[in-house]
Amino acid sequence: MTPDVVPPTGGYMVAAYVVAAVILLGYTVVLWRRGGSISKT
Amino acid sequence: MTLLRRGRWITGIALLLLGGLYVRALVFTPEERLQGLAQKIYYVHVPSAWSAMLAMGMVGLASILFLLLKDARYDRFASASAEVGTAFSLVMLTTGPLWARPIWGTWWTWDARLTLTLMLFFLFIGYQVLRGAVTDPGLRARYAAVVGICGLVLLPFIHLSVYLFRTLHPMPIVLKPGRPSLPGSMLETLLLSFGVFTLLYVGFVMQRYAIGERSHDA
Repeated sequence: MTPDVVPPTGGYMVAAYVVAAVILLGYTVVLWRRGGSISKT
Repeated sequence: MTLLRRGRWITGIALLLLGGLYVRALVFTPEERLQGLAQKIYYVHVPSAWSAMLAMGMVGLASILFLLLKDARYDRFASASAEVGTAFSLVMLTTGPLWARPIWGTWWTWDARLTLTLMLFFLFIGYQVLRGAVTDPGLRARYAAVVGICGLVLLPFIHLSVYLFRTLHPMPIVLKPGRPSLPGSMLETLLLSFGVFTLLYVGFVMQRYAIGERSHDA
């Protein structure tokens, strides 16, 4: 038996995708900056 | 082309594919009937858990090789993989509660799977704290290798915890004996997500290894 109305859980989905993107892009930037600063030395 | 540049290229390609994965998962992959849109968290939560476990597996294997062969490159690789694994385990530990809240009615529960994955995160953190605390390079590498091997030993317990203990966390539906119990389009998106997150892991580790190598030479 399935519910007639799908529960409104879209907000959690958006939050999870945003958090994942922020962490992965943030770490990309960190590595880029660290790699850049080392290549200049 | 240097390792750092190759790592940057691979990371760039992986990030473009991550954008494609987001579009595919959010727009073109069907919505699950019972959970609604929250089920789509699956396509970032599961591959991030996979990458975190892959990272710790690599830390453990490199640690064993370092202790056997005394080659500092394995230690540097383990260090790189541990840092990258921390990022993926952070994704796993933040997306998991965001999925659990609407489905289980709670952000967190101290069941076996969740507790062991939290331990994995603390092992990543502890590994790096240890490396920062020990100044002698030889001792640092040996102590870190022991922690890395502990992490490797933890991995099968994480995977099997849903079979060994009563837990809220669902059983594997892809990495299990027999056929995956997932509709075709959802399975394709999940496999794409595994590929994208693995590529991201490779790109991150190549960059981090190159950074560690240059810092060591400087």
